[in-house]
Amino acid sequence: MLLREVKKKVGEIWRGFVEALKLIARFDPYVMKVTLFTLYVCAIATAFGMVMGIPLGSALALYRFRGRKLVVTLVNAGMGLPPVVVGLFVYLFLKRRGPLGFLGWLYTPKAIILAEIALAMPLIAGITMAALQNADPKLRMQSRSLGASEAGSILTLLRETRLSLLAAVIAGFGGIISEVGAAMIVGGNLLLNGEPYTRTLTTATVLELNKGNSTLAIALGIILLGITLLLVWVMTLIQQGTLLSYPGRAARSLFSRLRKEAPA
Amino acid sequence: MNALLTMQGLRHSYDGRPVLGVESLEVLEGEILAIVGPNGSGKSTLLRIVNLLERPTRGEIEFWNGSRLSGMSRGERKELARQMAMIFQEPLLFRRTVRENVAYGLKVRRVPRDERRVQVGEMLARLNLVDLAERDALTLSGGEAQKVALGRAMVLKPRLLLLDEPLASLDMPSRREMRTYISRLVREMGVTAIYVSHDYHEVLEIADRLAVIIGGTLLQTGKPGEVFGRPVNGAVAEFLGAENLLEGEVTSCREGAARISVSGLELEALCDLSPGSRVKVLIHPEEVALLSGVGEAGSVRNRLRARVLEVREIGGMVRVRLDCGFPLVAHITRASREEMGVEPGREFTAAVKATALHVMPFTRKG
Repeated sequence: MLLREVKKKVGEIWRGFVEALKLIARFDPYVMKVTLFTLYVCAIATAFGMVMGIPLGSALALYRFRGRKLVVTLVNAGMGLPPVVVGLFVYLFLKRRGPLGFLGWLYTPKAIILAEIALAMPLIAGITMAALQNADPKLRMQSRSLGASEAGSILTLLRETRLSLLAAVIAGFGGIISEVGAAMIVGGNLLLNGEPYTRTLTTATVLELNKGNSTLAIALGIILLGITLLLVWVMTLIQQGTLLSYPGRAARSLFSRLRKEAPA
Repeated sequence: MNALLTMQGLRHSYDGRPVLGVESLEVLEGEILAIVGPNGSGKSTLLRIVNLLERPTRGEIEFWNGSRLSGMSRGERKELARQMAMIFQEPLLFRRTVRENVAYGLKVRRVPRDERRVQVGEMLARLNLVDLAERDALTLSGGEAQKVALGRAMVLKPRLLLLDEPLASLDMPSRREMRTYISRLVREMGVTAIYVSHDYHEVLEIADRLAVIIGGTLLQTGKPGEVFGRPVNGAVAEFLGAENLLEGEVTSCREGAARISVSGLELEALCDLSPGSRVKVLIHPEEVALLSGVGEAGSVRNRLRARVLEVREIGGMVRVRLDCGFPLVAHITRASREEMGVEPGREFTAAVKATALHVMPFTRKG
């Protein structure tokens, strides 16, 4: 009895899954618009997060200045901020009577971008800082002594740690594309003239599920999952790339040494 | 030779702790000046100061273009820094190909691409690195990597090349190869070099002059032979691996001829110190002659009864450890060992000329 019941319910989920795949395969306009909007918002927020986070992380890693410890603490705390709390604060600033209320950004894509920047920036800054602190400080001295300017030497160092930086950016992007709290609070999950206006994959999934439209929710969920898996896959490739090339590197170096020691 | 660089009254401290004091040091145009001293003696700090990576607490450096450390503008600083290049103990290559590594400094200086290619190509050829040009620099062996680091510095045709322990992390064969490349490139290109090392053996072959820094203080500068033959004090002698460094006291001194008491025995030496001064006496092992009779070698002033404790062959020479009231080491040839039958337990006369005794004032540091 119970088993048949469970089987039936699983069948429902499966049917919803198949329907959802059809929605995606048909390029359902609603699903596509929500997806594109999400990618757009997250890309811009990540870009801003990089522009602010990489210099901030570099400064924290390479210079000693008054208040540095405080900023490092803030960045580290920021890496684990609950999105809902970020959303709440951005809301308080942007609401009509808030300090930035005059901008009129609340419930617009700009508000979502602002909140996502606040989430992504500390992540990017924090990972950049860690990467640069792990890099050999002599590398920067070496580039300075070869004539690079202060800024040039930092760029060289960033280029040396570019894999970690890529990981930082992916972590930032992955963090904000999958969060729902902040986007919901400051964006409002709105339609404008029947078109998604501030509706992201996560907020739409929540809404459609609440409306009982589980097929649509599953479709949105699959896309979100797909994007996340893609990011994880790229991350793994990056890590494996360095891991896998290591034995090869060691073997090659040993080989060239042996060749040198052998009589010509 | 003209001075390329003159340092005066250089002092540097970290958090109030003095780490370096150089009263005066000149680097001459076209020479390889080796700065040697034990680890942590301030040699690397000196290099960083010369390279303008660090500002000394006090002191003045006058550079080849007439500009001085004090009151140097940013522009002058940059200009000067670009005429120097530094090589460290680790190759510190960038995560790029060998060719791109060598091109780094030229790129920073905005040398046009075509010219860059020509210069990098020439440098790779000079260092026998053409086959490795497209390799990822981080996959090279230690010796190859350090050669790339040398090329990356020398392609800039620096006025002053700074080397901070460039051989310290290499194995013996790479060391020899690297040293040959360094001295060949430096001479061929007419570059002046400051070569820092904790191991004086490493620089003996290639250094024109030696500067010894111990405990942050520059103690002696001179030709390697001079410094070895006549170290200014015991600390320098000890660092240079001197054997037969004895402590004694001047008992009398007349017109430069002194009598020095060492472990109750009187030795004759040439020095100008007043009676009662405590001194260190250096006797190079090659200057100790072993005689079986007493009558030979008429002019030799110092003759000591010596019992052989140990005989060991080192390379082509024989090292004989003697006891003559104080421990003394003599280096003799294999032939004389066989001729005289130098074996442990036998007794000989150890003869040392008065001129072969190098007497140094006893300083607290020495």
